[in-house]
Amino acid sequence: MSKSTSDADALYTQVHRRMVESGDWDRILRVLSAKLSEQGWSDELYHRAKERARMMDPPLFKTVLEEISLHGEATVPVSVRRETTAQIRQFVKDQFEK
Amino acid sequence: MRVRLSRRFPNLRQSGGRWQHHHVISVTWRYHVHSYASLAPSQDVGQGSTLLLTSLTPATRSSLYLGVDTKSGSLFCSQCNNFVYNVMFEDLYLSTILLLEEQQTRFQVSKRTREPYQPWAPNNEEAAFLKNTTVLPCQGCRGLLNLGQTCFLNVILQSFIYNPLLRNFFLGDRHNSRLCKHTDCTCCEMDGLFTEIYSSSTIPFGPTSFLATTWKVSAEMSGYAQQDAHEFFITALNQIHGTCRGSTNISCNCIVHQTFAGQLQSEVTCERCGNVTRTVDPMLDISLELRDPGIEKEITLAGCLRRYTKPEKLGREYSCTKCAKATHEAVRRLSIRKLPPVLSFQFKRFEHKTVSKGVPQKIDTPVRFPVAINMAPYTTLATSSNGETTYPGPDAMYEYDLFAVINHEGQMENGHYTNFARFQDEWYRFDDEKVTLSSLGTCLNSNAYMCFYVKRHLDYKPYMKPTYLVARENDIVREQEQEKMRELARMKEVDDALMATIAGD
Repeated sequence: MSKSTSDADALYTQVHRRMVESGDWDRILRVLSAKLSEQGWSDELYHRAKERARMMDPPLFKTVLEEISLHGEATVPVSVRRETTAQIRQFVKDQFEK
Repeated sequence: MRVRLSRRFPNLRQSGGRWQHHHVISVTWRYHVHSYASLAPSQDVGQGSTLLLTSLTPATRSSLYLGVDTKSGSLFCSQCNNFVYNVMFEDLYLSTILLLEEQQTRFQVSKRTREPYQPWAPNNEEAAFLKNTTVLPCQGCRGLLNLGQTCFLNVILQSFIYNPLLRNFFLGDRHNSRLCKHTDCTCCEMDGLFTEIYSSSTIPFGPTSFLATTWKVSAEMSGYAQQDAHEFFITALNQIHGTCRGSTNISCNCIVHQTFAGQLQSEVTCERCGNVTRTVDPMLDISLELRDPGIEKEITLAGCLRRYTKPEKLGREYSCTKCAKATHEAVRRLSIRKLPPVLSFQFKRFEHKTVSKGVPQKIDTPVRFPVAINMAPYTTLATSSNGETTYPGPDAMYEYDLFAVINHEGQMENGHYTNFARFQDEWYRFDDEKVTLSSLGTCLNSNAYMCFYVKRHLDYKPYMKPTYLVARENDIVREQEQEKMRELARMKEVDDALMATIAGD
């Protein structure tokens, strides 16, 4: 592992911990959940997962998770991705400017 | 917040014998988990899911463990490397969540806690009675024949059939059409409808007597022209309310009001003096305007509700009662003061305002609606302008689940109604007599005219006997009194006759 990757990992862990401690993680997650739900993203995944599991015998969680994770990642609405990234960026900015 | 299950459910130890491979000693449920702890690093179940992994059989240090997804309560078995379904665990999870919610909710006024839920168990008498009964499946599914442009009726009837509260009321024999003394009773028609649906027949049937009764009671609904499904919905509700036992004009407790009645608050603020006037009106459903969404954004149910409950300038002159000046500066805000168990939404697709050529246009813009909605942001408590923030109660009180959707295709005068409805977790599509298994996705992608949501958790007045039980007991007492009076009257007749014979001698 290169130094820059491990640096990035360490930074990520630090930011994540600070976010959870300040309550911003929960807040941003809540807003993100609401937006994704309103745009039908959550329901789409729920429908896909259900129909996929229905076709399997027995239904395997990991397979379903892998497949819908791929689809989920790809279909996050642009505006939601943009707005959430902006919020995270703002948080990081505020944190490290202190 | 932790709940030690072994203390709450002392029989867990005994049922531990049921688990062949997994010895349950005690299971600690963590209510809020932000990250997941893994005891077997090689098992990466899923990033981002909150999984609490507890090792059981600590003595043998087995790598076998059970995990729980704290959000859904689903059980994960490391040996199966999959989520597994266990009825006992499902029940335990539901009971625990309910217990925690009960402990966390206090009533606004009395500050008392909720009454703990007790699942029903038959007493000896009831158990003996049940022994001689046959268990029928609780799903009734039948198509409805079109009797001549009556698809508007069929879709509303299907929405009633799949309405859990209405279903429970009529399957519970609460309005027995054979005992009812009303004529042209729509409540009896509902009883008849449920009887047909839950009979052993699966072939479509024609709701002819329902239609006939509707015509007799509401002449404006008669005739073979296409009617508006929403108009029929309101008409039917009023008819059922009118023929329901014990219905009153003020704070009625009939099945229609118990199911659909909510309260809407209109708050008008005079911008000049700040005086606030509040009016509370009853409502059976919510009709939402569809306006142009703008360039990129789509119309969503949440968006419509936000618009419905946002403060708006009163377009007309307002006479403030406090500062007694007529002003053009008043702001009105609507909010839901009381949420009903079943929420019905109508999207106003049929504009009666003449547009350009004098022909009313149908607004066909699709609306995105969710499978579940939290109504808290649109309630009076949440939009309260008096500055204080009262704890509105746990989210569970505001969660609603979609169970029926009504679609309309075509133009105003010559269109066709179809609908979707859900039984447990399966979605069906209804097109008059044609019923097909569908999917959530198909339903959500359809163009909705009306949507029906049911509250996930019902609220009860605590420590109270249900009003229908009280009414029944009063009935019994009254019957006995009347019988006594009749007996006295009979005896008096006999006495009088006897006296007459003696006097006649």
